[in-house]
Amino acid sequence: MSDDLTIREPPKILVPIQVLEGQTLPETLVEFLAPASVVVLGYHVLPEQTPTEQASMQFEERAQTAVDDIAYAFHEAGREVETRVAFTHDRDQTVARVAADVGATATLLPNPVGEIDDLLVAVRGAIDIDRLADLVSTLVGSNDRRVTVWGVAPSDSEFDAEAGVAAARETLLDRGVAAHRITTEVSASARPVADIVGRTDEFDVIVMGESDESLSSLLFGDETERVAEGAIAPVLVVRKRSDRSTSG
Amino acid sequence: METTPGTGDENANRSGEAPETVAQPGTATDETSVTEEGTELERSIGLTGGLSIGIGTMIGAGIFVFPGLAAGRAGPAAAGSFAIGAFIALLVALPASELATAMPKSGGGYYFISRALGALPGAIVGISIWLGLVFATAFYLVGFGNYAAAVLAEAGVSLGGASVVVPLALVFGVLLTGLNLFGTENAAKLQNYVVGLLLTILVLFLGYGGLDALGVFGSASTPERFMPFGPLPMFTTAALVFTSYLGFAQVATVAGDIKQPGRNLPLAMIGSVLIVGILYVATIFVATSAFGSIALSNFGETAIVEVARAFVGRFGAVAILLTGLLATISSANASILSTSRAVFAVSKDAILPRVASRMNLKYGTPHVALAMGGGPTLALVALGEVEVLAEVASFLHLVMYGLICVALVAIRRNEPAWYDPDFRVPVYPLVAVPGAIASFGLIAFMQPASQIIGVAIMLAAAGWYKYYARDVSLKGVL
Repeated sequence: MSDDLTIREPPKILVPIQVLEGQTLPETLVEFLAPASVVVLGYHVLPEQTPTEQASMQFEERAQTAVDDIAYAFHEAGREVETRVAFTHDRDQTVARVAADVGATATLLPNPVGEIDDLLVAVRGAIDIDRLADLVSTLVGSNDRRVTVWGVAPSDSEFDAEAGVAAARETLLDRGVAAHRITTEVSASARPVADIVGRTDEFDVIVMGESDESLSSLLFGDETERVAEGAIAPVLVVRKRSDRSTSG
Repeated sequence: METTPGTGDENANRSGEAPETVAQPGTATDETSVTEEGTELERSIGLTGGLSIGIGTMIGAGIFVFPGLAAGRAGPAAAGSFAIGAFIALLVALPASELATAMPKSGGGYYFISRALGALPGAIVGISIWLGLVFATAFYLVGFGNYAAAVLAEAGVSLGGASVVVPLALVFGVLLTGLNLFGTENAAKLQNYVVGLLLTILVLFLGYGGLDALGVFGSASTPERFMPFGPLPMFTTAALVFTSYLGFAQVATVAGDIKQPGRNLPLAMIGSVLIVGILYVATIFVATSAFGSIALSNFGETAIVEVARAFVGRFGAVAILLTGLLATISSANASILSTSRAVFAVSKDAILPRVASRMNLKYGTPHVALAMGGGPTLALVALGEVEVLAEVASFLHLVMYGLICVALVAIRRNEPAWYDPDFRVPVYPLVAVPGAIASFGLIAFMQPASQIIGVAIMLAAAGWYKYYARDVSLKGVL
């Protein structure tokens, strides 16, 4: 835990769980996340013909209990977590609102996972490297977990994947992740998102940045969501700093 | 929350259920309301969504069902009838907006009235509005049936001379209820596009027709006498066509889901009345200029199709037919959803058995409330009486509208501590008092049959309250 000295911004992870659909967190993931501060958001998505009030009248207790169970699992792993329960018609709106509300640095998109040994950090565009490194180094801790930093971008992209990966590696080393645990790779890819999804079976947890609003995200939905849908492993999405607009 | 049945507790109904408070109005923010246990209820409908609920509910009737019927009764003065309707709707939309921003909760008019005036008026309005929406849905479905039958006729499909209007309306009534019961796809975006498309087609059509009527293309049409039957039919027709203005209050029934309620509720309610009011008056003007009211009347429910045919030929007729299908179905669907919300609001307050607000987890839909809307609707569709359906729906809504105005006066004269609306009606007595008088006054111009049915429903609602829920008190209970 001496690593903490070099952490600039203690990571806070928002963990949204579809509680009433019986979604839970694997025990290994709870242990993996426990070094960071965690906010568990139990949510339930309703079709628009159902008022949120109506659903909460009938299912509030069940949702609260399910969230408390997850909070208890974190408690067992030595971490007290904040819990929220929400009924909504729009999952993304709720997750984005709560993430901004609690000042989360990353959002988890849960998927089943076993032992967590290998992390993939996908760098596919400008990303907040400090936040990324704070998160990854906190979670990797002094364990033997391996981190693969993979720069993946189209060959004609403005983003210099090579430099991005090097900077990420440097910052991870600064935060105390041992050099022998970091592997770097750079690939040119016309379809970075699809390629990241394709490699999710090689790793236990994926870490990536939020997508920019782009034409393709308007047409095909948010890229991180497409990764989450296709991914076999849990995905941690590093959020952009909300104060970015005031500083630049 | 649960009380033991049969203990004779105060403020409980015959089954021992007490009104349930889900979220205090004071906890409402722009993005959520928060329950007592701290659960957040996300607000997800924006201004576009609110306008689309209001306009989508209203537009089906005023343009695609009433022009022929109204012109037959009032002549070109039918345009005046629609203008009267719009004016009354605005007088009510303002007080409703103020009350909705103070109490942005599911239930709309019922909620305001029960909190401001007490449980008995609340129960009468709540149950009447459930049935009023059932009548309105049936009316929209029969309107849809007329359009669907006309489409078949246009396509040259003959069904042996038997009328297919009611069977088609029934089939679609079952289909829409089923979609809402089992459909978990969010149709809100679709509804926004449908309303956008409807508005575009109508503006194009009315723009062309308006220029034509003014003599830009060809010769100006000979003006008919404005009130061929005198002024009275203009008012009785206003009472009939008021069904075309029943949608704005539906925005208030989803108030609990509206983002930034303080801003979006008044804008959506007042805006949707203004938009449809202008379109209605323009439609009647164009339609009566094109044909004269007698010819128009003979075309019946689908008169507007013949107007389009006269302007642009078969293409115009087909385009308006399809638009009419979309419009009537969107009105029917919006009403089915409102019915289910109305039932929920009343059952949450223990005036109807709590079972009515049960939902199933698998589909996440309020199946009991949807069935309580869809079932009676189908029975009414089978009657197929468009004018009576429309008037009873109007009657029951007008009672609520009048009481909304009364509720505003009551609450403003003695403002409770919790009352803190974001939107305040300027010089409220000059809006609410004429609003109440006009709403109740319009009822006097209806057919006796509709008045009798309306009064009977209200008496039955009062009787139910006395039998089932007389110990429930709601005044000022938030």
